[in-house]
Amino acid sequence: MAVYAVDDYGRDPHLVAALSPLARLRWNVSVTGAGNIPGTAALLVCNSRRFSLGAVYAALALSDTTGRTVRFVGRPDTAPLGPLMRRVGALLAHPADVLSALRDGDLVMVSAAGTAHARQAGAVPHELVGQAVIAQVPVLPVTTINSRFGRAAHVVVGPVVTARRKRSGPLAHVELAERVQHQLQRMLDNDGAVDVDVEGDVEDDLAVEDDV
Amino acid sequence: MSGQRVLVSGMGSELGSLVAVKLEAEPWVGSLVGIDSDPPRRRLRKAEFHLLAPAQRERIVEVVTAFNPHVLINISVWEPDARAGLRDARTFTADAAMAIFGAAAECPALESVVVRSGIEVYGRGRGTPTRPDETAPLHPTSEFGKMLAGVEHQSAVLAGRAGLALGTLRLAPVLGKHVPSPLGRLLRQPVVPYSALADSPFAVVQDGDAANAFVTAAARRLNEPLNVVAPGAITTLQAALRGRRVPLPLFGPGWGLAGRLSNLFGAPIPDHVIEVMHRGRLADGARAVDVLGCAPANSTPQVIDHLYAWESIVRIGSIDQAVA
Repeated sequence: MAVYAVDDYGRDPHLVAALSPLARLRWNVSVTGAGNIPGTAALLVCNSRRFSLGAVYAALALSDTTGRTVRFVGRPDTAPLGPLMRRVGALLAHPADVLSALRDGDLVMVSAAGTAHARQAGAVPHELVGQAVIAQVPVLPVTTINSRFGRAAHVVVGPVVTARRKRSGPLAHVELAERVQHQLQRMLDNDGAVDVDVEGDVEDDLAVEDDV
Repeated sequence: MSGQRVLVSGMGSELGSLVAVKLEAEPWVGSLVGIDSDPPRRRLRKAEFHLLAPAQRERIVEVVTAFNPHVLINISVWEPDARAGLRDARTFTADAAMAIFGAAAECPALESVVVRSGIEVYGRGRGTPTRPDETAPLHPTSEFGKMLAGVEHQSAVLAGRAGLALGTLRLAPVLGKHVPSPLGRLLRQPVVPYSALADSPFAVVQDGDAANAFVTAAARRLNEPLNVVAPGAITTLQAALRGRRVPLPLFGPGWGLAGRLSNLFGAPIPDHVIEVMHRGRLADGARAVDVLGCAPANSTPQVIDHLYAWESIVRIGSIDQAVA
């Protein structure tokens, strides 16, 4: 009887389990850096090439790897696509939805703005990243690289990114979003690696820390 | 705080009589008075009940002012197509709110008001949050939601003028074996229609859990709005499958025909129930658990299971012996 139910946000874990083999037929995803994900709630920010569905396969792969629910942001609010995406864990790109999921202890994946090139990080939506500041949860960059027509895909989770300065107002949200975009670009420039110091100042400049 | 006078408006309803039974067991309640247009559905030992229609405003004012309560619990809300049709429900709810809140303003001892509202007040317009918390703006998109928003507004005006503590409980759709609910009635039909394109998830709350929330809110002098929602969610299709009903997928024009047929079979589908099926109805109930200190005992799937575990024939074998 317990089969017929969804979670608090409408995600159907049984449908997700049924769709995972189909997703694996389309993408052969390798995941690196999953150990960076904390045991608590966290906001994951991934780069996005237009029409690549990077957030979808990254969320499914990280969900498989960590055994936790990973929700991704960006479902439409119209039927039938919206309700279908909700069943596999999608949220509206609404700050209240992101904040609510983070407060419930979930992992939430947010996409940067879509770009034409796979190795270019688009603008990170500060109004969504700001919810991590409000909920006091860490923000981690996630790079997604895949072949447009092939199956190979690579997901890399970077370490926690923090703002350079402590701010009490909305600047905290904007500056954190900019630093996440900066970190994403660096990871993409280095094939997703986070331990390669291209300009010699990664540790110093990115202020990679273990907490918010 | 013992010896408190508590007035329950809407004591005749399933939820109201359940609240009254629980209040009778509370040590802080000294005397209990109830008002409703229907008699209570449970045996009450201490409560004094007045059978009054919402339109009998002068008599209601007499009863309320003579009792001079410390705590007012207003459950006088008629859900459309539950106990009355839409037009009557709207009139009864407005009349009752006017009479009760108007009378309450004349009571010098009144300290606290607890009001029954619903998560329908948030509305389900496009782009609204999936699980609104109590800070979300009120944009009701159904008749029932607008009625509840009106009750909230009237109670806020009363509380603001008189300096009262105002606790507003925004309940998810209340279901129970004996609760008159258009949603529950629809789900128990042999054939259950659902939206083939959306089949959106919704949350509900068991009548007993809702009653506990009212009693706790009254005891703690709640002074903020809270969502009272059972954890988990379910879709109409999933509910029908749990109840071993025949699910009937419907597209746009099919809803008009299904609505008329369902009405003929005694289960009218009001607009807020259609909204549940198309757009879903969820809310964040975490704040209520923190503030009231009690979480709903039943999850949404469990409430749905209880709804279907309803015997059509209740055999009371000992009646003959007792009479004899």
